[in-house]
Amino acid sequence: MPWWLELIRAIVGTIILFTGVAVVAAMFGVLLERKISGWMQSRLGPKHVGPQGLLQTLADTLKLLQKENIVPHRADRAIFATAVIVVPLAALLDYVVIPFGTTRWGPLIFRDLNVGVVYFAATSSLVVVGILMAGWGSNNKYALLGGLRSAAQMVSYEIPMGLSLITVALMAGSLSTVTIVNAQAGLWYIVAQPVAFLVFLTAATAEVNRVPFDLVEAESELVAGYFSEYSGMRFALFQLGEYGEMFAMAGMAVTLFLGGWRGPVLPPVLWFVIKLYALIFVFMWVRWTYPRFRIDQLLNFSWKVLIPVSLLNLVATAFVVMVMHR
Amino acid sequence: MSGEAIAFYVLAAVTLGSGVVVVTSPNVVHSAVALVPTFLGVTGIYVLLSAEFVAVIQVLIYAGAITVLILFVIMLTEGGTGIRARQRNEQGAIGAAVAAAMAGLLIAVAVRTPWARLPGTLPTYTPGAIGQSFLGPNLLVFEGTSVVLLVSLVGAIVIARKEE
Amino acid sequence: MTWADLSLIAPELALAAAACAALLQDAWATGPALESRSRGPAAAWIALGGVCAALLLLGVRPAGAAQVGFAGMYVRDGITRVVDLAALAAAGLGVMLSPPYLERFRLPAGEYHALLLLSTAGAMLMGASRNLVLLFLGLEMLSFPLYVLAALARRSRRSQEAGLKYLLLGAFATAFFVYGVALVYGASGTADLSRLGRAPDVPLLHAGVAFLVIGLGFEAALVPFHAWAPDVYEGAPMPATAFMSVIAKVGAFAGLLRLFPQALPQLAPAWGQMLAAIAVATMILGNLAALAQSNVKRLLAYSGVAHAGYILIGIASGGPAGSSAVLYYLLVYVAMNLGAFGVLLLLERRGEEADRVEDLAGLLGRAPWAAVVLAACMVSLAGLPPTAGFIAKLYLFRAALQDHRVALALVGALTSVVSVYYYLRVASVALSAGAADAVAVRHSRFAGVGLALAAAGVLWLGIVPGAITALVQQAVQALR
Repeated sequence: MPWWLELIRAIVGTIILFTGVAVVAAMFGVLLERKISGWMQSRLGPKHVGPQGLLQTLADTLKLLQKENIVPHRADRAIFATAVIVVPLAALLDYVVIPFGTTRWGPLIFRDLNVGVVYFAATSSLVVVGILMAGWGSNNKYALLGGLRSAAQMVSYEIPMGLSLITVALMAGSLSTVTIVNAQAGLWYIVAQPVAFLVFLTAATAEVNRVPFDLVEAESELVAGYFSEYSGMRFALFQLGEYGEMFAMAGMAVTLFLGGWRGPVLPPVLWFVIKLYALIFVFMWVRWTYPRFRIDQLLNFSWKVLIPVSLLNLVATAFVVMVMHR
Repeated sequence: MSGEAIAFYVLAAVTLGSGVVVVTSPNVVHSAVALVPTFLGVTGIYVLLSAEFVAVIQVLIYAGAITVLILFVIMLTEGGTGIRARQRNEQGAIGAAVAAAMAGLLIAVAVRTPWARLPGTLPTYTPGAIGQSFLGPNLLVFEGTSVVLLVSLVGAIVIARKEE
Repeated sequence: MTWADLSLIAPELALAAAACAALLQDAWATGPALESRSRGPAAAWIALGGVCAALLLLGVRPAGAAQVGFAGMYVRDGITRVVDLAALAAAGLGVMLSPPYLERFRLPAGEYHALLLLSTAGAMLMGASRNLVLLFLGLEMLSFPLYVLAALARRSRRSQEAGLKYLLLGAFATAFFVYGVALVYGASGTADLSRLGRAPDVPLLHAGVAFLVIGLGFEAALVPFHAWAPDVYEGAPMPATAFMSVIAKVGAFAGLLRLFPQALPQLAPAWGQMLAAIAVATMILGNLAALAQSNVKRLLAYSGVAHAGYILIGIASGGPAGSSAVLYYLLVYVAMNLGAFGVLLLLERRGEEADRVEDLAGLLGRAPWAAVVLAACMVSLAGLPPTAGFIAKLYLFRAALQDHRVALALVGALTSVVSVYYYLRVASVALSAGAADAVAVRHSRFAGVGLALAAAGVLWLGIVPGAITALVQQAVQALR
């Protein structure tokens, strides 16, 4: 393929992904969040904009677009403005290696890297840089505290997450996401690797800063954490990044543990979406059910429980794989 | 000019440009943040060389972990935030001269070296092959690195732990 | 990997195991307390056990032909044997001389001994490397613990400063080394030292080799990469200074030996000139700067720089004669430098290190044996008979003359004459009458045995050098 064709492909793909993520992940995600929280708290949730409140997020976005962009006094303007781009961009990069389904021309994936799983870990770790930049650039103590908490938390939880990713890669004998999905033709890895699945889900919840790991933006302590000072569309972009990251994590969990697009009767893409939303529902269910951790409990949990458990799991898996291949 | 060449020059410009910001910015946080595009530029060059694994590891370790660690430390350090440190001293001229001489020397060497074009195709640097090489011929180095890491851990704890 | 491979690195493994044991013992004894409470000699005994085990494993292996392991990366031959011996001697003496100091200044004993052992293992890996990557790993494993050891006295700002300086400059120098490895690889397509001899003679190779010299020269404190040495030596806690002053030289010169006379004989005219120039600059600057020092640690730092220059004569001369002289000098240097530091470690001035020359005054009256050992070591450092330093220098100068490098031998001899002044000044203060006020001498049986061993080494290697000479000459037989 000539290089300019490659370039055009990349640009078109990015636009499609971006709109897809923005519309599906963020807009629908926010609506879902509000609907589910309403349902769990015996409320109705948004109801008036559009049929059953379906257009509520669209209206909110339009409102945010018209609002003024406020930059705090003595904020670091360059960093303050760049952070807004880094967070959603890093979330967006995750989607490159997630296979959404399969067609007769091959799997529906942006690029099937032979290091796909490590790539996912790498790009999702970039979000922290954006969060730290936002926290520092705002010139606000709550934002800074939120940013610091986020860095401590994400660095700690990246390790168990990486370990569970590696465990799955070990089972499949490959780091490519498509190969991993294909290797689950017989048995989903959630059956073979329940520990890794739980560790991944826990770490993913922590990585996207959701309850019970949402100290980064704990409303009762830190206003809104690292994006306290952001207003208007910049605020919306952080929301986009956050929900984009959550959908990416759920998509990766589906790919690694729930057999990806595989399933009987229904078309593959639909299966992927069903599983994705099932996991998203779990995330939201947890959010509206559990209280928040304290920072020391949070870090202790990662270093003293998750990491040893996932290390043991990795060693055990490696042993079994070695014995089976002998 | 081929697309690869254009990509190389763009990436090199990104790397060098943000590298200059890293060493000249009076604001230490700006320096740390500018490390990210530097590392990403290098990542791009790795991708151009079809070294995907190294590229991804570069993002994971350098852009993702090391920069975060640096930022974290700067922000935790008292007075580190917003400090405007002078980035050069009286010896700046000497340093610049040495750096320029070194760069000139290296460029001259690179230009004058007859680069052998080896026949055949590149070996495939798949993750599997890299893993095999770590646990095969390079085993001693791979395991020895863990000793170096142990030493760093011990050192960090000995020097930084709380006073009695 | 096979059992044969594992048995090759058995001495290094023994050291690493002892290091882990020392750390665990310390953790066990300390419990949940913040500060280590294990100040007893337990860690020292563990470390000593590790060193003895390594020596034993070294001894039981027959000194035969070279054995190569780990896919050609690691070689155990005569040079490895002598370098291991020097490194283990440094570790053993370092362990024996330090317990009184560690106890007095409340340094963490477990970490100290673990780091010391791992650093020794790094130097041994450098001596056994047949591949640039392993050489680099050895350099890292050697220098990382030294950075930490320099900063080990965390209540002392000087120690922290020393550690930071050493770390920053060391990282800078190591970066040059890695760059050099990359350039050499780019020029020759291999990092295997045994195949470097067939590499094409392109400018890139020369640039790469020059960068490697920067990395190793920093560790050996060669001029112009020596600037860190006085400050770090002065600031670091004295046992760390003593140990690093010898182990860094053992590792760095083992690396230079593997790199130049062994791997690149075809480029000898080029690097011979370069190293000779560095050696001349190092000898002159080191000795002249040492003349002006009143602090013994700084004096020994510059003396270390000067000795690096002397040893480099052997590398620059190349060939079997030069290489065997280097190996011999390393053994001698370990004994005499640690002997000198060992005496200083016994002294204490008002709760601080007694590191001024005048603090030594009247040592003869209070600790006659220590004064005699110090004097013997100083005489040996100056290169006067009947001590080992004389024989070692003799071998070096003879190697230089054999290689028709008269200027090198001449500069070496002249600067040695200069050095007599400052070494004997220290010795004469120690042997003089009178007493330095507020300087206390701490006696320790552990350190006493160490000092006795060092002094015995200095005299034995000086009076009956036959056995060791045969050992080093046998070691370099493979060289042409």
